[in-house]
Amino acid sequence: MTRKEILVKLRHVMKQASQEHIDWNTVIEDATIESLGFDSLSMLDLIYDIQQEFDIEFEAEELVSINRVSEMVTFLEKNTSP
Amino acid sequence: MSKSINRKRVVVTGMGSVNPLGMNVDALWQNMLAGKCGIVPLTSIDLTDYKVKIGAQVNRTELAAALEGIKVRPSDRAVDMALLASSQALADACIMTDEPSDIGTLFGTGVGCSESLYNANTRFAERGVRGLRPTSVPRCMANAISSQISMKFKLTGPNYVLVSACSSATSAIGTAFRMIQDGHASTILCGGSDSPFDPLVFGAWDSLGVMSKNADPTTACRPFDANRDGCILGEGAGALLMESLEHASERNAHIHAELCGYGESSDAGHMTRPSQDGQVRAIRGAVASAGIELGEIGFINAHGTATRTNDECESGSIRAAMAEHADRILIASNKSFFGHMLGASGVAESIVVIEGLKAGIVPQNLNLDDPDPACRINLVADSAEKIDAPVALKNSFGFGGGNAVLVWRRWES
Repeated sequence: MTRKEILVKLRHVMKQASQEHIDWNTVIEDATIESLGFDSLSMLDLIYDIQQEFDIEFEAEELVSINRVSEMVTFLEKNTSP
Repeated sequence: MSKSINRKRVVVTGMGSVNPLGMNVDALWQNMLAGKCGIVPLTSIDLTDYKVKIGAQVNRTELAAALEGIKVRPSDRAVDMALLASSQALADACIMTDEPSDIGTLFGTGVGCSESLYNANTRFAERGVRGLRPTSVPRCMANAISSQISMKFKLTGPNYVLVSACSSATSAIGTAFRMIQDGHASTILCGGSDSPFDPLVFGAWDSLGVMSKNADPTTACRPFDANRDGCILGEGAGALLMESLEHASERNAHIHAELCGYGESSDAGHMTRPSQDGQVRAIRGAVASAGIELGEIGFINAHGTATRTNDECESGSIRAAMAEHADRILIASNKSFFGHMLGASGVAESIVVIEGLKAGIVPQNLNLDDPDPACRINLVADSAEKIDAPVALKNSFGFGGGNAVLVWRRWES
């Protein structure tokens, strides 16, 4: 997947997990995870949803301290590449 | 234990309630004065194979709207209701929560986050271990209730949950009382929360056989009545902001009532059958810790579950502990109004006691049409009674033999 494709898919997963009333199509890579409505608990749920949607396995701790969408995209880019 | 002159006095300066009778303290109290019963046919789960199909359920639509008002995303009903009650209590006490404060958080629960546990079990049954979310642990642990409150309102003091079945909230309030009394904390948010209305927990209670088989919601729960045949479960939460009198005075807080005594004991006998000996020790311990005379007590808010065993045993305990005052002191149970809220019952009923002390009113025993001769106590009949005495007791007795009793005093400003 390209970085852009990952971001589009990630926005969709985040929208399902967050339930925040924001325009997810406008979320940029520089956005912080906290600004998108995720706290320590819902962040864990998001990680699970990412594992399911991207069909990858990793330990929750690998993503739990990430601060920005860009870091998440980079992580997924690295872990979904063939 | 005698009351030490070095101990601090403890007062309530904030109250919050999420109850089948309404979404705040005033709604609860006004509906009780109106004689309204909050027990209804249960709609939240499929009860096709269940013997009991009624309960005291919090209005789901109103709860969802209220949670949105405090920016809480629904997660688990016990947590959600505790957060809402806490928000109300903190606001009532004029405690700002935009900055961290050293307030403690002590809550009681009987079944804990059972909705989350049921959801995790369901996913495990459907999809195996890969179906389990990483949030299963932090969502299912019983102390998610106090943890979520602590995080939401930035309360940095001690934070934990007490579990002692139906006496849980009373134990939490009593423990908070002692911590403030002895100077370990100046302010604690305490209370309880429980929701037994998931298919598994309610099914377990259905199987236990202690719930009434009467299908009529408004007459099924009949504490101390000769024709009672069991309890009716309820759900809800309550929160009390308690602080030392000196701390409340320093910040000119409005005081609702004083908590002046707490007693507890264990039956150390049977898992589900209560013991008069254990209950009497808890009542006497509470009275002794308050340093009051029995003549000051105007009424007792009974545990009063409406099971055959509890009400007869509790009546005997009250008579033994109150001695010659037993014929004078008014006794009422609130469970015919809003069911047995398990680990939250002690705080919901304490709120009723506090409102009663303020108004000089003891609400009636709904459905007490034919008082059981085996319950030889001075029961409030079919209408509320006026009282003038300044002190009231709140009894809570749990499965497992835990007994907890609070002594409340009207606040004279």
